[in-house]
Amino acid sequence: MTDYNPDKGYIALLGWSLNAIDAMEKFDRRYLIVAPSWAKEYAEAHDIPFLAWDFERLNEKSFEIAQTLKEMGIDVAVPLFEETVEWAGAINSVLLDNPRLLGQSMLLRDKSLMKRRAQLGGIRVGIFEEAHDRADVVRFLKRVNQTLLKLDGDTNDPIHFKAFDLAGCMGHRVVRTADDVDAIPDEDFPALMESHLDGWEFAAEAWIHNGKVRFLNISEYVRLGYSVFVPASPDLEKLRDKVQAEIEKLIKAFDIKFGFIHPEYFIAPDDVMYFGEVAYRPPGFKVFELLERVYGFNAYQGMVMMFDPKTTEEEIEAFFPTPVEDADGYAGCFGVYPRNRVVSKLSIPEETENHPYFEWHELSEPMEQKVAKRSAFGNHWGLVYFHGEDAETLRDLLKEQEELDFYV
Amino acid sequence: MSQASPSPSSAGLDASLLKRLDSAIRRLDNTSDKLKLRQQQPLLQQVERVLLSPGGVGACLERIVAMDKAGVFAGTDWDHPAHLKAGLVRRTLESADGSALVLEALSELRFLAIARGQYEHAEIAADHARHFLSQVLGLNLEWLFGTETEVSRRLSGDWAAALKSLFETIAEDIGYGHIFDAVISEIWRILAQRPIQTDRIKAMVAELSVWSKAGSIEPSSSGWGADRLTSALFAPTNECREDPGAEAYAAKLPTLDDNALTQEAAGMARAMHDTGLVSAYHAVLLRYLMNDRPDLVAECLGLTATGRENYMAYRSLIHALMDKAIHVETAQAIYGLALLLERGLLHLPPTVPALWRQCTLKLAPAARQRLVETFGPAPEPEAHLLAGVISVLGQPLGVGQGNNPTCQAARAIAMWAYTDPDYLLQLVAWAARDNEVHMPFEGTTISSGALWAGLAQGALLDVDPVSAILVPHLDRIYMEMGRMCAGREGDPHRWINPEMHGWWVARGFDIVVDVPTGQLVDIDGFVRRFYAAFHPDYNGNQPVIHPSPAGIAVTDSAARFVGWHAIAIIRVARDPSGDVRVYFFNPNNDSGQDWGDGVIVSTAGNGEFYGESSVPIADFASRLYIFHCDPMEQGPEDAVDGADIDKVRNQIVSSWGRDRTG
Repeated sequence: MTDYNPDKGYIALLGWSLNAIDAMEKFDRRYLIVAPSWAKEYAEAHDIPFLAWDFERLNEKSFEIAQTLKEMGIDVAVPLFEETVEWAGAINSVLLDNPRLLGQSMLLRDKSLMKRRAQLGGIRVGIFEEAHDRADVVRFLKRVNQTLLKLDGDTNDPIHFKAFDLAGCMGHRVVRTADDVDAIPDEDFPALMESHLDGWEFAAEAWIHNGKVRFLNISEYVRLGYSVFVPASPDLEKLRDKVQAEIEKLIKAFDIKFGFIHPEYFIAPDDVMYFGEVAYRPPGFKVFELLERVYGFNAYQGMVMMFDPKTTEEEIEAFFPTPVEDADGYAGCFGVYPRNRVVSKLSIPEETENHPYFEWHELSEPMEQKVAKRSAFGNHWGLVYFHGEDAETLRDLLKEQEELDFYV
Repeated sequence: MSQASPSPSSAGLDASLLKRLDSAIRRLDNTSDKLKLRQQQPLLQQVERVLLSPGGVGACLERIVAMDKAGVFAGTDWDHPAHLKAGLVRRTLESADGSALVLEALSELRFLAIARGQYEHAEIAADHARHFLSQVLGLNLEWLFGTETEVSRRLSGDWAAALKSLFETIAEDIGYGHIFDAVISEIWRILAQRPIQTDRIKAMVAELSVWSKAGSIEPSSSGWGADRLTSALFAPTNECREDPGAEAYAAKLPTLDDNALTQEAAGMARAMHDTGLVSAYHAVLLRYLMNDRPDLVAECLGLTATGRENYMAYRSLIHALMDKAIHVETAQAIYGLALLLERGLLHLPPTVPALWRQCTLKLAPAARQRLVETFGPAPEPEAHLLAGVISVLGQPLGVGQGNNPTCQAARAIAMWAYTDPDYLLQLVAWAARDNEVHMPFEGTTISSGALWAGLAQGALLDVDPVSAILVPHLDRIYMEMGRMCAGREGDPHRWINPEMHGWWVARGFDIVVDVPTGQLVDIDGFVRRFYAAFHPDYNGNQPVIHPSPAGIAVTDSAARFVGWHAIAIIRVARDPSGDVRVYFFNPNNDSGQDWGDGVIVSTAGNGEFYGESSVPIADFASRLYIFHCDPMEQGPEDAVDGADIDKVRNQIVSSWGRDRTG
């Protein structure tokens, strides 16, 4: 981008995301992509401002990158992926001269610390514990089921197992039996274990500036790790005020002044909201793209505005639409995972293709014929996008996709 | 056309298809310039679905401006309409490749929107778009008539219907009469260069004749010269006026009296020399005369004194050539035979025995297979090759590269046929019989046979039999010579051209481009040396002796650089109005080109012989970047008028040299 507004901030995006780059290309702020060196060739070929950096564990080099960015005149760093959240915290603590930002980002990065902090802030969470090895998992599984008064031989209620520092669905497993425990790889430890909460799981996305929520979206999961749509159905949107109040508690508990958060909640049958976890980065499923489809605003640009210290109040007011009211229908996507163990080609089911809500897909022909067993949630083969006027039709449609073969 | 379907509208289309199309356009439009590629494919898939539905062409036309602005062509070969060539459309349609087909169809719709004045495009004007479309229609007439072709057979039924609808939509706008005129002038334009390969032209003439018979156009308002074209092919003489078929015509010949036969012979010859096209009936007649009335053969070939004298001196060879090579399928070689005799080539001592060798040459299996694949099983491949040899020797400048990037090899064949025919016959013998060609390069022998690996390419498209046999070898040798020059400073053609073509290519070499940087160097000196070597006012009025390979920077009609191209300077001479022009051979067979800035390449009307292209010498120098010359043979450089040099320099800098001056 050659023409940018010199009165706005110079933004460093941490992580490689083509959609984020696309957003910045169309935005009025100067930007720099900080990402691993494998992206360098593409960046150079497409004339994308780029700085190579390997985001391993935070180390003594974090000060070096912060200093480099400061010398370049960068105003703020924006994390795009879970792995870059604490890097952004470390960098921003230097750029914005606020050491607390590093501590905050560590809280948001460690699922166990995060839960405790939320609990301290008066937010309801399920039963949770840390696990360092498989024995811990077995013990926790037993105890939870004892609490539920299950007898030996009854089917266990599942527990959730989440690697400490992996994003969203990655490393998230549902554990019911000892066999499930054996299947957990060593590298997923340490981890957080939680009791399973029966109820309606959903996510929210909040754009925060000066400690206030400037736009709140509720994303309705049809099935976790498979499908999501926005805005949420009228049934879920009824809870908007409640969700907003819960998010304000989070902002307070984590002392968030600016940025973007993506928390997950459960609504128990008694209408009580339980906090699941929160991430300080864009959601993995393409909720940002869905938002653009229904509202027309670019969620990445909104996020950058929240981080940029040079953003003005007028700019924010002009940018965000009125939630739900301004939405053009509902947009949803379904993450395809082959159901067969061996596949030879991509074949969009007729039911999908002929449905008026179907919009497009980003699936490609299979790279190999043998399908790896899906070990945790996540790593779908691509998304199928839908758009339509009725939330219930869309929800049913997304549900139906689970029973269809996209690869045969 | 009366049976044309009503203008397509999107009324009958599935609404959700259009909604998807619109949302795909929106997504692409929303994508930043650097990342357009990511959203192009999804849009093209959507367009394909719409195009293949009834009414889809109209729906896409309604959205073509939005699609173009969104960037559907960005970064593709179709990005700049001003650079597109009507002649290449067919090739894309033949490729039957999904995305390319969609882009091609959209490209035509963009031209249509521009032609209609619905779309103001920065690059091209409405009349340019209109002209482009009438050319495209002319070159793809079968889509309007719905004739089954190789292409339409290869496409799915849906695609065939979509393209038919596309061409009908365009034709209704352009007007059928207008297309008719455009086609005819296109045919005459190409025929003015007397190409050896005439299959495409013959197919177009065949379509035209079907069309005129159907009475769908008013002959009074359009169709200048159409009669001559169709009659030359299908009814050149009195006895075949009704297009009776070869067998019926052959049966009739023995019943004709002297007078009628003489008229037949003269009529055939006149049709052939008028158009450069040879009717299949001509072959029937010639074979008959050869056996029963050899006294009329010269008449039938339309020979002048030189040709007759050659025919009489080498009658047994000519009859052997005719017997072996001239058949209904290879009738076109009759024209080559007539011109071969006219050129007096047979008086060159090695030519006659070399042609006798060619008459009995046995083909290597690979060569035989290549010919059968390209020209079919009948007559036998030896006959096709011999017919090709006759054509090339008779019409050296009728050689074309076809749809292949092999201008170097095509130029070489043409130059040999022109100046070194017995060497060409030797090369053909090696390639056809041994499937291997040897050439020395600075003392090292290069064998094309050893170079098979790594350079194999697909079958050549639309070339004559000699090229089909020889070009693959030449191409490999040319590439190998290039490899052997790797690491040398400067342009490799300096060494390749004389080594590859022959001693008669001068070792002196001049180039105006600095190869590593692409910048222009010493423009004035370059132009000065060119004039001193070639301009009759400065070189002592010495005509060009041998064809001289040269390189030009081809520019488009907006004088923008398109690419480097190999040509050969044939003559430099005064045209009928007294201006000095360079007459050159361009192997692309579509030599009438607009190079921009008022430089129009002429192929007829300015003193050209068939197959030559020409431009005034200053215009030529303004596009030249490589030439060969012998410093011992040029005139004094400082005699060249400074004003001449200024003129050429300005033309270079305002066209292809625009971004090449430091």
